[in-house]
Amino acid sequence: MSKVLMTVIGIAVLLWGSAPSAHGQRATEIYIPVGQSPGLSGKHTMIGKIETINTQGRILTIAGSSGTHTATITSRTKIWLDRSKLRLANQKGTFSDLQKGRTVEIKYEDPKQMGRGAAEWVKVQLD
Amino acid sequence: MEVRRNTRGIKRLSVVLLAGVILGLTFIPACQPPQSPPPGSEGDLAQLIAKGERIFFNETFNGNGRTCGTCHPAENNFTIDPAFIATLPKTDPLLVAEFNPDLKKNFENPKLMREFGLILENLDGFDDLENRFVMRGVPHVLAQRTSIDSPQGPRTGWSGDGAPGDRSLRSFAVGAVIQHFTKTLNRIAGVDFRLPTDEELDALEAFLRSLGRQQDLTLPLPLKGTVAKRGQEIFLDNSLGKCNLCHQNAGATADFGGGNIGNANFNTGVEGLPDQPPDLTGERVPPDDGLGTPGDGTFNTPPLVEAADTGPFFHNNAIETIEGAVAFYNGAAFNNSPSGRALARTDPNGVGIRLDATQAVAVAAFLRVINALENIRASIELLEVSAQKPFFERKQATRLLERAVHETQDSIMVLAGGGLHPDAVAHLQDAEGLVKKAARSVFFRGSRIRKAIDAQQRAKGLLVESP
Repeated sequence: MSKVLMTVIGIAVLLWGSAPSAHGQRATEIYIPVGQSPGLSGKHTMIGKIETINTQGRILTIAGSSGTHTATITSRTKIWLDRSKLRLANQKGTFSDLQKGRTVEIKYEDPKQMGRGAAEWVKVQLD
Repeated sequence: MEVRRNTRGIKRLSVVLLAGVILGLTFIPACQPPQSPPPGSEGDLAQLIAKGERIFFNETFNGNGRTCGTCHPAENNFTIDPAFIATLPKTDPLLVAEFNPDLKKNFENPKLMREFGLILENLDGFDDLENRFVMRGVPHVLAQRTSIDSPQGPRTGWSGDGAPGDRSLRSFAVGAVIQHFTKTLNRIAGVDFRLPTDEELDALEAFLRSLGRQQDLTLPLPLKGTVAKRGQEIFLDNSLGKCNLCHQNAGATADFGGGNIGNANFNTGVEGLPDQPPDLTGERVPPDDGLGTPGDGTFNTPPLVEAADTGPFFHNNAIETIEGAVAFYNGAAFNNSPSGRALARTDPNGVGIRLDATQAVAVAAFLRVINALENIRASIELLEVSAQKPFFERKQATRLLERAVHETQDSIMVLAGGGLHPDAVAHLQDAEGLVKKAARSVFFRGSRIRKAIDAQQRAKGLLVESP
């Protein structure tokens, strides 16, 4: 590889800055109700009711319109309580808020693992 | 008696003549009501853009009264600055934190808004409003078709991660409504605001993409001004100004020799500047760590064609003038930054960027001239569209003329502010006067618009050689 090209690539790596692939304005996502995330809901998220919760493996089973799916809740997963139907402010939630029968929307960390992988965020609808 | 009869007769004749003129104007073909736009993509797109424009400037989303146009007014190049804010009435929704008790704390900082044009953003979350926020300038939304796309996806906002959902420009409005339109700090959808519908997001995106330049320049331009011409040389010299590396063709994309990499983020050390104006006030201004949470210190690259009349500059409005913004790259903050050090490492003399005063001013002159050229282009476009509007769309036509006046005033300000091209400034002043007269005119509007366009073209001809 030529010295010039190496230099060019070196500059690009140093100067380019982080790839924003997993970012996005997650800060406001907490306030977006289940099913209304622009460009995501219905296309790149799972929406359904929690059927089972494996507390040891931290795995949810969700029944949605496209069938039954799973999601793993990791230490990175954001859990948000959608209280908009109660006309209350949305808040951060915890694993214990993931209860059987509740409607959730899940965005997966890896789109290729949609329906079975680790969850990037979970919105829990309270009504 | 005879005098009274004559007067009545004259009045009747005037009414008949006026009615005739109005009827005539109505039935002249150019004055017919618009037929439905022709089927097919062009007509549909025009309708979608028009719908987006209406939403942008009028829709409050049931919030605190703000619209998108509150912070992105067309008459101020779709951004705000202290001079513009000073013209607003006290009840303007931009200033809602000053009169809405629910938004008095932790929504904006009125002092920093009025003095420096800064708005408050909770980029790292809303769980500690008192301490976790940043103060940023309002980026203009011009030329986004050329400036936000990258192989990693669109980069919106000052840190390139401005949109929720799928991070697209289309989704940006959702985050903006939640952050800026809310009635209270609870930010409850359906109570404090409503979210834009899918159709509204489509329309807004179409409108945003229609604004400003639709393509990048191709440098070098055959400029006529001595100093601006030298400034362009320095800009394009990858061993001197090095500007073109990160601002290809004075736009917002980067090319380090291996091909264009699209819009990119860089850590240029702006946050490291000493004596940043907001810090001098004693107000709480937390550090801004840029992209991500926690941030990586990088910020998004804006296009430079639109720079000279959309200051203050950088994500925190740290620098007021275009000359100051260029001179920033000479200073310690930049040359000690990751970007500055990377440039130095590849420089045979170990220099990041080092320009003397005359060189920095020359680059600024170049940026002033290309901004003026863009304002002239935009002004002519507005004038031509206005001229085609029929009589019953007079209000819309007048609004377009008013915008053309603003663009022309910007051209004048930008050139005169740099002591550049006084001859072109004179033509632009003529153009401004003609457009103002056209806006007030009924019968001579068309001819005045044509003369104004001619004056703009004469000004342009003094800035750049014609092809």
